[in-house]
Amino acid sequence: MNAEDILRLSYHDLAEKKVRTALTVVMVVIGVAAIVALISLTEGISATISNELSSLGPTTIILSSTSSSGFTSADTSQISSLPDVNTTIPILDGSVYVLSNNQNVSATLIGISPQGLQQLLSDIRIYQGTLYQDSVAPSALTGYSVAFPTSASGKQSVFVGQPVTVKVLGKNGGSYTIPIIGILQPYGSSIIPVDTGVVMSLPAAETLLGKPSFNIILVKATNTSTVSQLATLLTDIYGSRARVFDTQQIAQTAKQIIGTISTFLILIAGISLVVAAIGIMNIMLIAVYERTHEIGIMKSVGFRDRDILSVFIVQALLIGLIGGAIGIGAGLAGPYALTAAVSASSSAPANSSHAAGGGLGGGGGGDFVFTSSSSSGSSAAPSIQPVFSVETIAVALLVAVLVSLMAGVYPAWRASKLEPIDALRQL
Amino acid sequence: MTKTAILIGSGTSDAKTKDHKTHMDEFAVRVRDISKIYKTGDMQVKALDKVSFSLKRGEFAAIVGPSGSGKSTLMNLLGTIDKPTSGEIYIDGLPISKMNGNDLASFRNKKLGFVFQAFNLITGMNAEENVELPLLVTNAHSSDRRKKADELLSGLGLGHRLQQKATNLSGGEQQRVALARALINDPVLILADEPTGNLDTRSSDDVIKLLVKICKERGVTIIMVTHNLALTKHCNRVIHIRDGKIEREEVLS
Repeated sequence: MNAEDILRLSYHDLAEKKVRTALTVVMVVIGVAAIVALISLTEGISATISNELSSLGPTTIILSSTSSSGFTSADTSQISSLPDVNTTIPILDGSVYVLSNNQNVSATLIGISPQGLQQLLSDIRIYQGTLYQDSVAPSALTGYSVAFPTSASGKQSVFVGQPVTVKVLGKNGGSYTIPIIGILQPYGSSIIPVDTGVVMSLPAAETLLGKPSFNIILVKATNTSTVSQLATLLTDIYGSRARVFDTQQIAQTAKQIIGTISTFLILIAGISLVVAAIGIMNIMLIAVYERTHEIGIMKSVGFRDRDILSVFIVQALLIGLIGGAIGIGAGLAGPYALTAAVSASSSAPANSSHAAGGGLGGGGGGDFVFTSSSSSGSSAAPSIQPVFSVETIAVALLVAVLVSLMAGVYPAWRASKLEPIDALRQL
Repeated sequence: MTKTAILIGSGTSDAKTKDHKTHMDEFAVRVRDISKIYKTGDMQVKALDKVSFSLKRGEFAAIVGPSGSGKSTLMNLLGTIDKPTSGEIYIDGLPISKMNGNDLASFRNKKLGFVFQAFNLITGMNAEENVELPLLVTNAHSSDRRKKADELLSGLGLGHRLQQKATNLSGGEQQRVALARALINDPVLILADEPTGNLDTRSSDDVIKLLVKICKERGVTIIMVTHNLALTKHCNRVIHIRDGKIEREEVLS
């Protein structure tokens, strides 16, 4: 039999039982759609996280003090003398409120040298005003979200040249009036929450926060291959006195966790394909039973075992192909609908300034909050775009076809092995 | 050495062709001492007991006998969809017992045509498609298949019913479609199992006349099983079967 005739006979059988065929196809659609959607969503989440982390710089190690005394310049010079260290950037941070034009915005006070800021941000983009000097005199840059807080619906409440009141949180915290000399452009993700920050020189920050030293040292390794080695070395040196984070490690851990979760989810989706396979097998066994008499006729007029076999195998293939194609379509459309729904619901109660208010390394805790404040201040959560790859689509289609094929083999074999004499007797 | 081997090789193949040709000649069907024993538990039922007969090309034979006499068993054996316990059947000079399942399928396709009491058309297909069915497993071109099916159907008076689904056809029409399907591969032998059993008198007459015509015009050998003794007057040989044995054989012309 030629391919066209096999296809025609197979299609003929499927078309004759439309509802049944449609239901069988739907089983495949559900399984494939679930797999495609889950893979593309987890790939999207994974890509978003790597993006966020890579913006922190792949060579950066964060050393965060766990004691209230913090670090001293002795620490920075010791670290600088270690092998594979490019630079060290001392930082002091603390949680504050910024009061200006009737707006009370929670922010992170960041003490860092202008050179350090330059290294941290790779280039300093100033929206208005100028950069501060490395002096004790407190003059500050504010982050974009501090100047245009969400509580003021994005209207400017901090202006260059106008002083603001900075209220330091904590038991010794006082209120200070600080001149604002500049506003930074929005940066989005960063190790230091720049967008919700009030940035000034290190000595100035020490004065305001009443601390003699800094609590964070950013260590830049010479290249990406030496980062983890250096991180291990720093952990050995500081032990429990400091926490050591390297962004690569964070990224890797995050990826591992996502990988585990996605494998688990895809396995669950795989179960739906197993169910589909059983369904296909069941339906095809019924079809073979129903067509026993016809198979008998076909065999009596000269159809060989393999002719019958191929007709039923192709039927299973058609179900897999059609179900797979529709399933991929549904799996592609689904995540978009889902992410759209999620971002629509999360944009409403967004309060990004508050989330960032925790600051980094506050007190003895050293809690990091990776922030990603968008310029409009509409949503704190990074939006997740599903990632579709040709591989995912190809694999999904292949799996659909293989599953259908495996489900179809046994019924097709049963059909092909029917004895014409027995088959003809059955009506 | 090598040369001799080749010579011997070609010699035997020549002999085979020759052997085949001699079989081609006289008889369409030769049945030699076939027995069929069915075993059910400890019981053995001898459905056929050493049956032998031969049919020349173009003969129209009837097999008659009471129910359970072994007619259907004989038809199944002749139709190669069942195997005898012993004995041999030659159709067109070819011994059936030597063939495996695939060979038998191809053999049925090329040499045999079936006409059943219940017509056995594929209900989801139209008249043309049913007639074309045996040609699907040959490498005939689809347009040639269609043309041949249409010609046969027109010849049997169904030129206006080509596209009709089998279920929309009357019994007489269905049997004529089945007849066209049996003829499409120019078979040596047509096996008709009670071909008029489900038909009214008029359609029954039509079908019998068509069978006679086919037999005469195409030189096809036909074996028809029937209960209706009146139909045997159209045949030139009547084989009476009883209890798995040939009771007598009449030659009418």
